[in-house]
Amino acid sequence: MAHLSLLTPALVLSGLSLALMLLDMLLPPKHSRALYHAAWLSSALVLVLVIATMADPASRGSGALWISDSYSQFFSMAVLLTAALCLLLGLDYRALPERHAGTFAALMLMATAGLMFLVCAVDLVLIFVALELVSISSFVLVGFERGNPKSNEGAMKYFLFGAFSSALLVYGISLYYGASGTTHLTPGAAAPGPMLILGLILMLLGFGFKASLAPMHFWVPDAYEGAPTPVTTFLSIAPKIATIALLLRVFGALFPAPQYELGALLGVVAVLTMTIGNFTAFFQDDVKRLLAYSSIAQAGYLLIGLVAGTTRGVEAVMLYSFVYVAMNLGAFAVAQAVGQDAGSYDLSSFDGLAQRSLGLSLAMTFCLLSLAGIPPLAGFIGKLYIFSSAVETGHWWLAVIGLVNSVASAYFYFRVVHRMYFRAPSAAPAPLAVGHFVYGAIAVAVLGVLLFGVNPQPLIASVSASAGLLP
Amino acid sequence: MMLSLITWAPLIGALIVLTLPKDNAKAIQGVGFLASGASLLASLLLIASFKTGSADMQFVESYAWIPALNVSYHLGVDGLSFPLVLLTTFMSFIALIGSLGIKERVKEYFFWFLILETGMLGVFIALDLVLFYVFWEITLVPMYFLIGIWGGPKKEFAAIKFFLYTLSGSVFMLLAILAMYFKAPSHTFDMLELMKANVAWDKHFQVLVFLGLYFGLAIKIPAFPFHTWLPLAHVEAPTPISVILAAVLLKMGVYGLLRLGYQITPLGFSWFLPYLVVIAVINIVYGALCAMAQTDMKKMVAYSSVNHMGYCLLGIAGMTATGFSGAVLQMINHGIVTGALFLLVGVIYDRAHTRDLSAFGGLALKLPVYAGLMMLTCFASLGLPGLAGFWSEFLCFLGAFSAWKWQTTISVLGIIATAAFFLRMMQKVFLGAFNEKWAGMPDMSWRELASILPLAALTVWFGVDPKWPLSLMNATIIHLLGK
Repeated sequence: MAHLSLLTPALVLSGLSLALMLLDMLLPPKHSRALYHAAWLSSALVLVLVIATMADPASRGSGALWISDSYSQFFSMAVLLTAALCLLLGLDYRALPERHAGTFAALMLMATAGLMFLVCAVDLVLIFVALELVSISSFVLVGFERGNPKSNEGAMKYFLFGAFSSALLVYGISLYYGASGTTHLTPGAAAPGPMLILGLILMLLGFGFKASLAPMHFWVPDAYEGAPTPVTTFLSIAPKIATIALLLRVFGALFPAPQYELGALLGVVAVLTMTIGNFTAFFQDDVKRLLAYSSIAQAGYLLIGLVAGTTRGVEAVMLYSFVYVAMNLGAFAVAQAVGQDAGSYDLSSFDGLAQRSLGLSLAMTFCLLSLAGIPPLAGFIGKLYIFSSAVETGHWWLAVIGLVNSVASAYFYFRVVHRMYFRAPSAAPAPLAVGHFVYGAIAVAVLGVLLFGVNPQPLIASVSASAGLLP
Repeated sequence: MMLSLITWAPLIGALIVLTLPKDNAKAIQGVGFLASGASLLASLLLIASFKTGSADMQFVESYAWIPALNVSYHLGVDGLSFPLVLLTTFMSFIALIGSLGIKERVKEYFFWFLILETGMLGVFIALDLVLFYVFWEITLVPMYFLIGIWGGPKKEFAAIKFFLYTLSGSVFMLLAILAMYFKAPSHTFDMLELMKANVAWDKHFQVLVFLGLYFGLAIKIPAFPFHTWLPLAHVEAPTPISVILAAVLLKMGVYGLLRLGYQITPLGFSWFLPYLVVIAVINIVYGALCAMAQTDMKKMVAYSSVNHMGYCLLGIAGMTATGFSGAVLQMINHGIVTGALFLLVGVIYDRAHTRDLSAFGGLALKLPVYAGLMMLTCFASLGLPGLAGFWSEFLCFLGAFSAWKWQTTISVLGIIATAAFFLRMMQKVFLGAFNEKWAGMPDMSWRELASILPLAALTVWFGVDPKWPLSLMNATIIHLLGK
């Protein structure tokens, strides 16, 4: 067990989540809200821990099954930030049973810890265990609203699909093991042959399930629609960017896609993911489903950076992931505020929002415009980086398809905007009752979207400092 | 500093508007006028220190913005952009006067309007391609809301059509910009550096880049066959926004064609000239014929914009100093004259709630001031000597004739169609038997006069003495062609 200390932050978080579970049993139910506070504070604490130890060279290095570099630290921070903000959203989400607050909070932290292991992993055993930790926690989280049939349906579909893709992953791992005689991901461990390549492709499909890449995306809309909104928010961001980070490590650094002639395959997956996500989103009338398809499409854009495979591509993926945290979280947070007030996530609950709360509708507008890549918002800078990495490496077709997709996506993002500004509010236009914690999360997200759009230099600088150290 | 002040003053105003309570319309309008007025005043002050004899960029500001990508905050104006900056600040202020008639959701209206003004000014002032693109896109979002909330019956469709149409054009522009970035040895987005770096670019590359740029620009101009968004957007937009659309937004396309198309990819531009001239002729003739077929006054004026932008393109296609001057002057004149036309159509629509040509008749008797101003503006628009439109159209034809003889000849015939539809409108609306239905119609109010009289005065001034606007652009245009 060499260099276990490298995993300190993830281990601390795992310990905290177990502690929360114990506390849940001891604490009387009327104080259960305290557990949510404990949970978001724990992930904030670990976030601070990661930031504080980053400067220390001892925080980086290679362990037995893992590697800790500034790249994994960057994604750990993004994941922890997402978890903290989603737990804040959970504080104001009324449909969660108070009685199980500790379980809920502990599962969120456990999933987060799993993602932190995942971004560090360089051995298939650890990757598999980390992925299962994330998956099993999220199956339960999706089905957490037990009285809601949609929640149960989503959890069931998610579970069945998850079990299927775990099987694919294990099959891929076994092929890799057969070809190389080890589960460690080392470049050159096996000669490129059909067995290795088939193994890599099956692994790609297994990872694609978590990152919601086409054709492994079918579970997404149902699970996202049924899950409690804070969980949806978490699932749409954290596992996605962590898995993309893993893909980048596996197919960007360890087994460079072009070398194994997987570049074209990744390109096709990127195109399919974007296109299916965007064009299916056109027909959605439920805002959570709409954002679900949008988040599928966003994963497609992220893959473009991976296909480019250059340092700029890596930087683009990191930059876009971070920006994506802010913009997607903001959009889901507003959706939660509005949906909870209206009692339904149908698009019509957004009717006339601008006249009820201009601030909330502007926040939503900024987040959606950023997702569509309209300047001067953060999403534009991210897309600029993504597409410039494609243009730089001569992947013109990817850049063109990506840009056309961005235009198409503007159409369905504007369906929400249309509702907010052009429709009259239904019935009495009462002001919305929005919780403080939701407001806080929205404020952080919108601030990020605006700030990184207007002044992206600090973020770019920290990204390029981290990307250069990838092995 | 002055250029930054001009660009950002409206945005600061927009942010202040956001903090005001939404019932306090007076304060919101006040802030709007202050912000837009500050921008106008600053731009007028610059006239004194603008060196007309110089072709260099003036009042330059340059700071690093995103050093990682070599993107800079680089501003500056020359004889090509400065007149357009003046046009923008002036027409925005005029449109704000026209906006006093907006009574619904005033706060949001002024918020979006002021953001739009910042975007438009930025497009003309930016000298960095990313900055340019950012401003270019910033104009889209407010326009979507301004058309979609305060527009006519089909406003929502018009808004999204405008948005998606323009956005699809601009993403190809973005691709072209990225291609240039990687082609330039220093990896730069700076327009001035790219204008020097382009000597090393082969023709094939320049043609491709030009086509990418042109796709985005042509939609804005709008050049045939990408003009189909314009009639809808113009007709559905509220009056002040139609004014802004016609007076400023279309100019962004022509400006881009000269600044990016001609100056950065000259080989691509000259390769495209034979097609551009055909497009210009189609714009002129087809635009005029379409205008003639309209019964809705606003739609007629909208198609007249297609026709007038054709003159601009023709002047540019001539590739002579005369033609270029004509084109830039035509941008200014079209902004002033068509802006006035939209305001005037708005005046009658506010009273009658119809713009149908055949619904009126003999109005000159009842509304002499209105009729007089409308006739003056129509005559200016159809190019009557002595009024603003004449000089610019004349220069465009003169500049294009030496290179494109028969194309110019056809275009001159287009003027007859232009004259025909304006005269037909005047006849139907102002002459003939008075329609008693409008017996109680009042003549123009002070607010309406305040917005239209300055435009009418400029129309006469530039018609009698076009020297001053031409002197602003002269040195730059000679420099442009001297390369």
